[in-house]
Amino acid sequence: MTPAEPVAVPTDAALIAAWQGGDEQAAAELVRRHARALAQFLGGAGAPEAEVDDLVQETLIRAFRGLAQFRGQCRFRTWLLVIGGNALKDAHRRSSRARVVPLGENLRATDGDPHEWAVAGEAEARLAAGVARLPRMQREVFLLRAQQGLEYEEIAAALGTTPGAARVHYHHAVTRLKEDAP
Amino acid sequence: MNSHEWPDAKLQEVAQRLGARAAQRLDVERTAQAVVARLRTEPRAAVRGLGGMRPWVRIAAALVTVVAAGVIVRSIRLDHTTTTALTTAAGAELNDLSADQLRQLLQAVGGGQPSVEQETVSSQDVGLEDLSARELQALLQSMEG
Repeated sequence: MTPAEPVAVPTDAALIAAWQGGDEQAAAELVRRHARALAQFLGGAGAPEAEVDDLVQETLIRAFRGLAQFRGQCRFRTWLLVIGGNALKDAHRRSSRARVVPLGENLRATDGDPHEWAVAGEAEARLAAGVARLPRMQREVFLLRAQQGLEYEEIAAALGTTPGAARVHYHHAVTRLKEDAP
Repeated sequence: MNSHEWPDAKLQEVAQRLGARAAQRLDVERTAQAVVARLRTEPRAAVRGLGGMRPWVRIAAALVTVVAAGVIVRSIRLDHTTTTALTTAAGAELNDLSADQLRQLLQAVGGGQPSVEQETVSSQDVGLEDLSARELQALLQSMEG
């Protein structure tokens, strides 16, 4: 009996090509790969939790429709996150109501040390509020770097700037977040 | 140091948790199906620009643009040609006009407000050949607008 050969996982580029060739399942696979990271990015960037599902869908639709503009200058996921930032900005513009950052949900957690949960929830809420106050570029660079763990080169390519400028934006964001700490 | 100030490691650790709840709540499979369904039902052309048009539509649009530009250019040239022709014809017949007729013509092309140059055409003038160079220049200028 021969050992089972490892199944080759198609790259994003291969899935994109397949989708462009009419393979719907390739699109579904791309969504499965990247939707959760996109949701986290949107949540971190200040999207109300109730709207994250819709924003994720909106972002993915925009991305698939605009695939002709994707030249592989960065990873597909990074490109997707930047489109997510645009979708969120548009949503904020449409919405006249004040955005409420959900606070303290972790306080209701039933497992773990309640005190630890409370402290963790407080820190998260504090940072979320600070991130929401950042200028857009600083916010996106900060999240792409600190939340998504991307290199400056990758961030710069996705945002159409230089790695040096991305580094400066990150530095300013961190400085402001530290200054904002109550 | 402010007791609440973020150490870098702490900042990064908390940043990685931001949005985690939203990510966990997302029903990825449902999202995938919804996106595929929307991609299937929403016409691609609705979100495409000129680059996404079918070739024959692009050709038709280009033709319309060329024809429109041609019409505009032709009308501009026609206006110019007509003015020139009228001026030439008028010039040829000016010699047949009397001084009074010339004065009337000058007043007509000058909107009834003769300029200083137009006023230099005296009542003794009897024809175009009697006008001085300056008077002829003034006359031509007034006719050319």
